[in-house]
Order: sequence, then C-alpha cells, then structure tokens
Amino acid sequence: MTVHNLYLFDRNGVCLHYSEWHRKKQAGIPKVEEYKLMYGMLFSIRSFVSKMSPLDMKDGFLAFQTSRYKLHYYETPTGIKVVMNTDLGVGPIRDVLHHIYSALYVELVVKNPLCPLGQTVQSELFRSRLDSYVRSLPFFSARAG
Amino acid sequence: MADTVLFEFLHTEMVAELWAHDPDPGPGVSAGSRGEEAGSTTGQKMSLSVLEGMGFRVGQALGERLPRETLAFREELDVLKFLCKDLWVAVFQKQMDSLRTNHQGTYVLQDNSFPLLLPMASGLQYLEEAPKFLAFTCGLLRGALCTLGIESVVTASVAALPVCKFQVVIPKS
Repeated sequence: MTVHNLYLFDRNGVCLHYSEWHRKKQAGIPKVEEYKLMYGMLFSIRSFVSKMSPLDMKDGFLAFQTSRYKLHYYETPTGIKVVMNTDLGVGPIRDVLHHIYSALYVELVVKNPLCPLGQTVQSELFRSRLDSYVRSLPFFSARAG
Repeated sequence: MADTVLFEFLHTEMVAELWAHDPDPGPGVSAGSRGEEAGSTTGQKMSLSVLEGMGFRVGQALGERLPRETLAFREELDVLKFLCKDLWVAVFQKQMDSLRTNHQGTYVLQDNSFPLLLPMASGLQYLEEAPKFLAFTCGLLRGALCTLGIESVVTASVAALPVCKFQVVIPKS
C-alpha cells in the first residue's frame, strides 16, 4: 500500500504544490501541461457528477479508481483542491486530505506572510512537513507495493 | 479567549502595508531577492521604525494594564521576568524560553519558537525577511519597560527561524 503523488490546486487552477513518492511512469507531457490536464479533468468530473447524480448530492466527487491506482479528491469551500493518488488497497482518506489542508496548508502557507497566495508554494517548511506527514501515514510503505 | 490568529493576520498585514510604501521597485512583500540599494534601505529603516513605534505604544498600554501588584517589582530583574512571563503569555500564549543577563544592564531574552516566525520556516529560508516581523515586538518590549519606568534600547536578531533573541540594554544613569 502506498502513496504515489499529491497535487494541490487553488480556486483558479494554479498548481500550488506537487510532490511524488512512487511514480513509475510519467505522463509524457511537460509538468505544466500535466497540471492543466489534471485540473481540467477534475473540473469536468465535478460538474458531470453533480448533473448526472440520480440522487441529491451530498459530498460530490470523492474518488475514482482504475485497475492500478486510485485518485482521491478533497475540495474546500474556498476552492482549494487536494488530489492524492494511491494504490488500490487504500480506503476513503477524506480526513487525511482535510488534515493536509488545515494543519499544513493553512498553518504553514496561509499564515506565512512571505508566501503569496495564488502562487506555487516556496516554503521549505511546508514541503518538508508535508513529506514527513505523508511518510508517516499508515498506508504509506517505503517499498512501492 | 480571543483567537490568536486575529493578531497574527493583523501583524502580517501591518508589515505588508508598511513595506508596500517602500521605494524599492520589487513587488511588495513577496519573497524574492531584494537588492540593498541605498535608496531602498532608508525606506526600509523608516518602515522598521514605524512598526517599532506602533509596538511601543501598544507596549505602553499593556504595561499599564497587565501588572497585578506594583509592589512585586522590587528590582530591574523582576520587571524583565514580568516581561518574559506575563507579557509574553498575554500576547503569544507562551512564556519566553530563556532570560540571560550580565547583571550590568544587558538582558538577552530568547524564544525558541517565536509564534510570528513559526509558520514561516524552520531553518534558514526567509532569514533576510525575518527582522521585519520582529520590529513590532521590539517596540512592544520597549513600551512595556517604559511604562514601568525603565528607559531601554531593544533589538532583535535571528540566527535560524523560529529561534529569535531580543536584546534589552538598559543604560546606567
């Protein structure tokens, strides 16, 4: 069980942060294109899910999975989107993604006077705390499973 | 108890607002290499002294309001201990981590996890920008000392975030 990578987007589609831990195959396109593709896809899926839902929507789009990986999605009312790709053995991790938002992003980026909002995060402290948090998760193993 | 973030956000904006009037052609407060041209340094010094002045007036008011028993301040060291304990707890919800003195009017107050610097970095990133965020607090200390009858000069230094040292020098009359 492991975490492959993590994206953090803001309300305007700017990729605030990207980290990867175990990724065996790259997308084959430049990183900037990859972020745009990811954001565009999420935007479309969210509106698709709400339109086509046969019942009243509660939380909206949560995750999708393929035969090799699972993509987990968490969005805040302010439009910050946390996207994590893990392998298939991982169940719902909404609380983990929420922790990344509240205890890491809000504490270390929003409260940091030298991190301008709306741009890629430069803070080393954020990067290292996020990395150690993800590595400490119970479903993260150093060996790519 | 009021939420501490209110003061933190206000302080961030104060620093940003005063820096925005800087003649430096750089983009405001965003982290970026900032050349130390002669023109911009005088602007920066002005901003630092404005921040320090604001802290001074707040410190004066807090110095009036906070102490419970005036008789407790028998000597200078008691006043410094009051700053490290009561003033720091009232403003930052924690005590100062260490107080050292040479018993000749110089005191060094060290905070190992200063709340205004804590979310910024844990090490050397943003080191050049750190002094801006200490100016208000230097004034705070100087103002509180002034109300309690002690003239002083307060400076701050940062070797690695979030540890910072405030140096209080009380000239002998």
